[in-house]
Amino acid sequence: MLNVPVDRHRLANGLKVNLSVDRSTPMVGVNLWYAVGSRNENPGRTGFAHLFEHMMFQGSANVPKNRHFELVEGAGGTLNASTWFDRTNYYETLPSNHLELALWLEADRMGWMLPAMTEEKLRNQQEVVKNERKERYDNQPYGDWDERIQGMVFPPAHPYHHSVIGSMEDIGAATLDDVAEFFRTFYVPNNAVLTLAGDIDPERAIHSVERYFGEIPVGAPIPPVPGETAIAPVIGETVRVEVEGAVPLPRLYLAGRIPSVDSEDFHAAEMVATVLGSGKASRLYRSLVQDKRIAKDVLSYVFPLQTSASLLLLWVTGYPGASPDDLEAALLEEVDDLGSVTQKELDRAVAMTETQLLREIQHVGSRADLLSMFDQIFDDPGRLNSELERVRSVTRDQVRGVAERFLAPDNRAILTYIPGDSE
Amino acid sequence: MSGGTDRSLDRSRPPKSGAVRPFDFPEIIASTLPNGLGLRVARMKQVPLVTASVVLKGGEAVLPDSLAGLAFLTGTALDGGTGSRSGAELAEAFEEIGSSLSVHTGWDSITLSLTCLADRKEGAMGLLAEALLEPAFPPDEVDRFKQQRLAAIRQRKMDPGSLADDSAAHFFFADEVPYHRPLAGTVDSVQALGPEHTRSLWEDRFRPQGGGLVIVGDVDVGEVETLAQSYFGGWEGVPDPPKPFESVPRNRGGGVIVVDRPGAVQSEIRIGQVGASRSSPHFFPLQIFNSVLGGAFTSRLMLNLREKRGFTYGVRSRFGLRRKEGPFLISTAVATDVTADAVREAVSELLGLLEGGPTSEELTQSRDFISGVFPLRLETTGQVAARIAELLVYDLPDHFFSTYRDEIRSVTAEATVQAGQAVLRPDELMVVVVGDGELIREPLEALGLGPVEVVSPL
Repeated sequence: MLNVPVDRHRLANGLKVNLSVDRSTPMVGVNLWYAVGSRNENPGRTGFAHLFEHMMFQGSANVPKNRHFELVEGAGGTLNASTWFDRTNYYETLPSNHLELALWLEADRMGWMLPAMTEEKLRNQQEVVKNERKERYDNQPYGDWDERIQGMVFPPAHPYHHSVIGSMEDIGAATLDDVAEFFRTFYVPNNAVLTLAGDIDPERAIHSVERYFGEIPVGAPIPPVPGETAIAPVIGETVRVEVEGAVPLPRLYLAGRIPSVDSEDFHAAEMVATVLGSGKASRLYRSLVQDKRIAKDVLSYVFPLQTSASLLLLWVTGYPGASPDDLEAALLEEVDDLGSVTQKELDRAVAMTETQLLREIQHVGSRADLLSMFDQIFDDPGRLNSELERVRSVTRDQVRGVAERFLAPDNRAILTYIPGDSE
Repeated sequence: MSGGTDRSLDRSRPPKSGAVRPFDFPEIIASTLPNGLGLRVARMKQVPLVTASVVLKGGEAVLPDSLAGLAFLTGTALDGGTGSRSGAELAEAFEEIGSSLSVHTGWDSITLSLTCLADRKEGAMGLLAEALLEPAFPPDEVDRFKQQRLAAIRQRKMDPGSLADDSAAHFFFADEVPYHRPLAGTVDSVQALGPEHTRSLWEDRFRPQGGGLVIVGDVDVGEVETLAQSYFGGWEGVPDPPKPFESVPRNRGGGVIVVDRPGAVQSEIRIGQVGASRSSPHFFPLQIFNSVLGGAFTSRLMLNLREKRGFTYGVRSRFGLRRKEGPFLISTAVATDVTADAVREAVSELLGLLEGGPTSEELTQSRDFISGVFPLRLETTGQVAARIAELLVYDLPDHFFSTYRDEIRSVTAEATVQAGQAVLRPDELMVVVVGDGELIREPLEALGLGPVEVVSPL
């Protein structure tokens, strides 16, 4: 069903390059994945990978501050970046006649970012990121849930124990030396994947990539992820945290470790989450929202993480006054009953996943991002095209097996928010 | 280091762009069914998907305050099932074919849509027609949707950003303007709604005349015409005409309102007033005006409040264009101790642009930005279907989006200033801040923007 073309190249400096031609509309997605994220942060520097991402927009040797935004927007393009556990991605989607502009900008900051760094720019972006943290975490009901869940699911020495945004204190502690060291260590061509998707002439495109990126020197081998990454496949117990505070409705999060994104069982875990909590015919919706009417909404999500384990998350928002114990009991009743999963339910989950992936690849930007992702994780961007076959091949037995092993009481982090007195 | 080093490469300046390749909005094939339902078909073949939408003119704005939220609830309650399928069975039928019914209710329209694989469109359109034309509105299900909505309203009140949006609407618009209230209704209005109301709104307004069926994707035009006629041909009637109203401000003098949230670590700031309507003759210059002010990364507000002063993670401005004049709004969230400074800077950027207009660089930048990103927002069948629905809702000509980029490129600096001045009135500017009143009241008073009133959350 999927037939996204991809040509792979590798420059002498180690940069992986993927070209995916689709000339139907005059747009191109330019997407760079660096294999660095919050997992690579050292103690005392939580949030640094993300702060660094902000610094990447503060200019480079040939690009003054703000010029990156001006040039891309002035070309009629959009741009952004995001930082996650295992990676940081940078992307522009723009009219295809401006492809070289994006390559020039990305190459300039991959090769020559440091000459443009100043104390003033760092201070400015530390303030911006502190405000981001306040806006998203501290001034937001349930805003710190992911920080708490990560802390409960992963042990203190594991790199997923802390949040991507990091602590206020650590954000403020970063120095220009940190910026320089991080740049030299991780922002090297041998730690990156560049994907161009859309309206490109592949021969000219690879020539341009070579021209702009070819002379960036290869970096040293990437140091191992700090901390202790070898952890047990499950938490080992049920961990509970209750938070009373400024939230409008009671909410319960249930999370556990699951096999990492590159493991054989990952797709089965995805199907577990979809059967349980995606859509109005899902088990949790039907039972908790529609029949028992104990919950206002439910959600399920599987984090696609690489470093020794991943994470499955369910959440249930109760009505005002709902008892967290009742919410938990109703949720666990469904979680414990996955042995009864039917082929029809699995077919529904597969059909929804199919449509979702097709919808996503309509965007050249998403196509480029997915190809970069499959390249970084599997060293095989073309794996995108067989993704749905793997999803379809998941059996009921696999779903039961994953549910039995990874949704059992020895692998549960249960985080409950209860409206406090202020409400 | 690499064999690819190119000594002729000059990195000190951006590369020249190549030749522009044309982009055309997909051709819209328009017809009308005998029952008055407009049919709009556009073909997109890149991915084997189809989006089908039924758009009904008239949304929340046609309702009196006492029924606020009814259009929203009625749309949601279509999930409650049909004459022949329970809600659970309906959801299952959609999801088994990898689709789902999504209903979007706005001020001016209600849109039902679905996206599915192209070879599943017939079944999907049948389900869409069933959900639309044979809703059962079972009392217990309608009550559940109502309880969900009431809980969601409770969530909005404790979410600082939503609270700020709702408070701004309340203080911008006069009581007789529907836009003064939250789109999906208030606790009082929703509390009073029941299945008899959803049934009656459906009877009165879910009618084909003047509405549209929009189908976009990998389809054959003749085939979808046949499907449209067979599923929607038997639908009949004319919707009740909406009651007219004028969009007027709550007060002509502007002012500063603090919605008190003691202990808040940030202030959510909203600055604005009654703005422009979707049919404004200044539509295109307003796009430029907004882009220069706060519609892009490189806008004046972002460069000042974020990149220069580090006050905020983000700031933006927008014109909410509706059938009648909707809100013009600048939005940002800043640390409590810089609240007044941020308001001062934002107001000064707005007044500066209103007075002096864009520089020629800004004009070029914004024209190129808006016309360039236009195709990026038309990549999916869903995006294209939404634009075509917009044409139907606002009675715009079919060629509107075909000439959009040319119109944007021809906007001048003079037209931009004129548009801003025609639509915005600095004397009426309202500042609404959700934050810690004790800490921000005095600094806000010192700005001299008028008396500061501290109120409790609505």
